[in-house]
Amino acid sequence: MSEGYRAAVDEAVAVGHRVIGLHASENGAVVRAALLAPDGTVSLETAAAENGRVPSLVDVAPAVAWDEREAADLYGLRFDGHEPLRPLVDHDLDLGRWTVPVRGHDAYQVAVGPIHAGVIESGHFRFHVVGDRILHLDARLFYKHRGLERAAEGRPLAEGLAYAQRACAACAVSNSLAYAHACEDATGLAPPAELARARTVLLELERVWSHLNDVSAICAGVGLAAGSTRFAALTERARRLNEALTGHRFLFGSVQVGGSALVVGAAAAAAARAELTSFEEEARSGLRELRFNASFADRLPGVGVVTAADARALGATGPAARASGLAEDARATDGRFAYAGFVPAVPIAASGDVEARLEQRGLELRQSLALLDDLLAGPLEPCAAEPGGEPGPIGIGRVESPRGATLCIVERSGDRVDRLRLRTGSYANWPVVAHAAAGNLVPDFPLINKSFELCYACADR
Amino acid sequence: MLTLLRDLRRLRRSLAVPAPDRARSLAVRHVDAGSCNGCEHELTLAAGPHYDLGRFGFGVVASPRHADVLLVTGTVTTRMRGPLLAAYAAMPEPRRVIALGACALGCDLLGLASELVGPVEDVLPVDLRVPGCPPRPEAIAAALVELCDRAG
Repeated sequence: MSEGYRAAVDEAVAVGHRVIGLHASENGAVVRAALLAPDGTVSLETAAAENGRVPSLVDVAPAVAWDEREAADLYGLRFDGHEPLRPLVDHDLDLGRWTVPVRGHDAYQVAVGPIHAGVIESGHFRFHVVGDRILHLDARLFYKHRGLERAAEGRPLAEGLAYAQRACAACAVSNSLAYAHACEDATGLAPPAELARARTVLLELERVWSHLNDVSAICAGVGLAAGSTRFAALTERARRLNEALTGHRFLFGSVQVGGSALVVGAAAAAAARAELTSFEEEARSGLRELRFNASFADRLPGVGVVTAADARALGATGPAARASGLAEDARATDGRFAYAGFVPAVPIAASGDVEARLEQRGLELRQSLALLDDLLAGPLEPCAAEPGGEPGPIGIGRVESPRGATLCIVERSGDRVDRLRLRTGSYANWPVVAHAAAGNLVPDFPLINKSFELCYACADR
Repeated sequence: MLTLLRDLRRLRRSLAVPAPDRARSLAVRHVDAGSCNGCEHELTLAAGPHYDLGRFGFGVVASPRHADVLLVTGTVTTRMRGPLLAAYAAMPEPRRVIALGACALGCDLLGLASELVGPVEDVLPVDLRVPGCPPRPEAIAAALVELCDRAG
């Protein structure tokens, strides 16, 4: 059975599919790999564990290394061919067991976290350095592991939404929509155009505040108060707009399984468009100012480079992948949203460094603001999902969050959640951050980290 | 004219947040004990241009050794209990603890019991509780002002 699994994955990869996630299910009795087809559809390949062992996929898909390590820690599985299988979620272990051995003349370690110097989430970074030069970075996250996936098991499908939403405030809409789509996929529901439009508005509102916040964070990463303050002010205005439209600054509670209760009147929609137009002008002017600020602009090029080949191999997603030249975006292939004709934006010089990731935020902001201007041309009314597609025991949702594609898989028994898997854009990109840091200077790490601006909360869950 | 401008400025400030005793200030150390990142985002903006905690004499400091206040967000996870206690132990006395946000207060906790220690008050003595999911930046500013006034 498990040999068929490996052969099926190899065959799919050979014809252009990509492995975009892997999770253990049925209490560790099976492992399911998620395969993304070039047309954007996701399918699952299942392997039954034999004496707790499953063939590893890391040789064909390094992107699922974290998934396998997580399944090993939480479900006690072993992955044949994944050597050494270092712990990921398990803490309280000897340093030697979870770090990569780095030896040589003058090599030493710099330990940072889990508590950081600023207002930052908790996580531990162990830099292996010579002088100020980073040779290797081991990131140990999961300090905020709350066991949300397991806690959702046994809950009614509608209640399970809270576990996806509260995994992360910065990705609340993305995670909720991925969950809602997974549930609707499993129960044979599809969103009509009105529902797709309401949800697309929410998803883009989340991207707007998030990208504004990211630009502010990159400025803070080099200590440019003028830039970080300007974009922090815009972030605040975006949160106020969120509240005006949905009643919550982070859009909490605005997504439901099977429909939408969001009401935005014509006057509110028109006011929101005017505010968004003003964001566009402000952000454009702010970004132009940054480009011509030499002491700022000098810090960005050639720092934290991720080549297109590495981005592909490591499974980078979202702005980080596009800044490396991979013109991929779940919005381009997703029929459940209102993204007809969407073309992913990529910087002209997709150099994969901090500069490209900053430019990428600017490009995407402009796209999102233009999309919202179209989508808010009329009022939003409550609406419900309609029958469409075959019901089944497993549903899949994939949504482009501000930090990349988020995959949600819901396995169900009737109306209850059997297994919830939430693989967020941040989860996919954390190994890429560690890779991008190598070869750079320790003092540049905050800047590199901010140029990805990943969440710890939705990686840890 | 100058008097009028000064009065206007004073009025504008006093309307935003109740004014603390200007002679005092608080150094704040934030610890994320297992939040969803919402409180962190609001705390960042509380220090941003619209609310500007700095003008009330509040600043986020890099080390608990320099801090008067420990501002804790999130339900305390089993993995963050140790680092949280270490940060508290490193603070000079007198020290105060603020539990920020619904999770830190133990409201509507989600997660596995085996991964969570519980609300902040199960781990540290809490001086001030700030509700909200997440608390708004002005609520965070107001809480610090209250603690500052109380400390006098």
